[in-house]
Amino acid sequence: MGKDLVVRIQNLTKIYLQGEINVTALDNVSLDIARGEFLTLMGPSGSGKSTLLHIMAGIDRPTSGKCYVESVDVTKLTESQLADWRNQNVGFVFQSFNLIPVLTAFENVELPLLLTGLSGKRRRDQVRTALEMVGLADRAGHLPRQLSGGQEQRVAIARALVTDPHLVVADEPTGNLDANSANEVLGILQSLARGGEKTVIMVTHDPKAAAFGSRSIHLEKGELIREETTQ
Amino acid sequence: MTIGGFIIKNALRNKRRALLSILSVAVSLFLLVTLLVLLRELTTPMQDADAAMRIAVRNRVSLANTLPYRQRAVIERIPGVAAITPFTFFGGKFRNEDIPSFAQFAMDPVQLTNVFGEAKLPLDQLNNWIADRSSCIIGIETAKRYDFKIGDKIKLVGTVWPADLELTIKGIYKGTPDDRNVLFHHDYMDEACGRLGIVGTWWVRAKSLEEVPLVVERINKEFKNTSAEVLAETERSFVLGFISMWGNIKILIGSISTVVVFTLILVSGSTMSMAIRERFRELAVLKALGFRRHELFAFILAESFGFAMLGALVGVGGAWLLYTNINITAATKGMFVAFELTPRIMAIGFGVASLLGVVASIMPSISMARMSVVQGLKTLD
Repeated sequence: MGKDLVVRIQNLTKIYLQGEINVTALDNVSLDIARGEFLTLMGPSGSGKSTLLHIMAGIDRPTSGKCYVESVDVTKLTESQLADWRNQNVGFVFQSFNLIPVLTAFENVELPLLLTGLSGKRRRDQVRTALEMVGLADRAGHLPRQLSGGQEQRVAIARALVTDPHLVVADEPTGNLDANSANEVLGILQSLARGGEKTVIMVTHDPKAAAFGSRSIHLEKGELIREETTQ
Repeated sequence: MTIGGFIIKNALRNKRRALLSILSVAVSLFLLVTLLVLLRELTTPMQDADAAMRIAVRNRVSLANTLPYRQRAVIERIPGVAAITPFTFFGGKFRNEDIPSFAQFAMDPVQLTNVFGEAKLPLDQLNNWIADRSSCIIGIETAKRYDFKIGDKIKLVGTVWPADLELTIKGIYKGTPDDRNVLFHHDYMDEACGRLGIVGTWWVRAKSLEEVPLVVERINKEFKNTSAEVLAETERSFVLGFISMWGNIKILIGSISTVVVFTLILVSGSTMSMAIRERFRELAVLKALGFRRHELFAFILAESFGFAMLGALVGVGGAWLLYTNINITAATKGMFVAFELTPRIMAIGFGVASLLGVVASIMPSISMARMSVVQGLKTLD
């Protein structure tokens, strides 16, 4: 694996069994992603973009092929090893935010740190830093229902960043947001990649959202059909 | 935030459901421990030193069959016998009560303290009772219930025996396991019935604890192949045998208890499953964030166990508070003189709650373990 590569995918295939029919979600996909890239995955529904994202993030397994992230073949890890690996290496941002409704913004961001063994003070410091990065330090004590959609998604980004992962994966992060909030969220994701330390991979339908990325991959029927450099 | 705080916040997210879950466990466990106390009170005779040395002698055919009075002299001569008294259930009606709250027994008053040493009454009252054939003594509970005083008269209308009795109260005793009975002269009852010369049972006190089994054997042997064969047994055996005449109450209460526990497990399991199913997507998010299966299982178990234990605290604790503070004799109209929630029964209550907490968490945990992160994220999306 090259020095600047964060993700290397080789001949990745994913076949689902839907009832009695085999559905090919990914068909022999190969792809390299460099450190500091903001890669967008585009394509119509059922094209396999979310499946590809899930395999790279270690929450789904391929039928065949290899997926190296930071030189680790995530397809070879056990469930337990994958859980640890995700906690240390991947930050997740979902379309519907997926914050825990009974926890405050601060507590939602703190959640992944409960697994790290950090002291309470260190955890609090990291949470404050993450919330400051997304401009929500003053909303730390608010419950998700007391926040706007854009603010909720920014809290979700803070939760994704709090463990300082190399890889941030976002599945349609602006799908439930208005245009202004979407721009704010995309701006934050873009700035993460621009810093060079984080690699951001985002699934989107929206070409405007994709324009924030540095490279765009188009999938169709499980195959990688086109690649564009957007910046 | 701590893991414990996270579990508590999750458990209390739907406060109404949490309250109802706790209450359903509490009510069921209250019922369960009440049934167990009931079973204990019905099947466990009071044990004290006097009771251990007492032997009940009844007709071998059944308790309803009588024994001839002439047996007394024979039993008195058996080695190891310290004292003997006839003890015959009168079963009379009192006032308008067909089944009075007190039992009435005819006995030999001279032998009261020899056979039933735990009965305490002042010596002058005992002597007055012995001296007057038409008198009786009553337990303090009955005295309180009917506001009886020494010198009052009690009229009992015979239903089992062909006589009505009018008795003058000469003493009030206490200290027995059941301070309700009315005791009067056997000789007086026999005379009122026309000198039938029969008794219901004999109660015998052995000279020592070691001699009890020997005396039992000797009495049984003495009347073997006579016209009135007897069954002598310890007081404990006698009481248990008496209770068994009600039917197999142990199986009845045991069956009800089992149904209560089984229903409780079904209800709690279903409630927990529902609570977890609603949170599948959140659990998938937690998995994505790095929480492992066993950690999520611990969350579910802690929540389920917490509800069950809170339910036990309310149900078993409530039962303990109630039965400790209530006047059970008054509340049950004299049916029970004690209704003790023992540490053993409380432990059973909490044990059932623990089991419930674990069992109720198994199904949702299996569902959670089988769910992949991707499947979970698709839930409700």
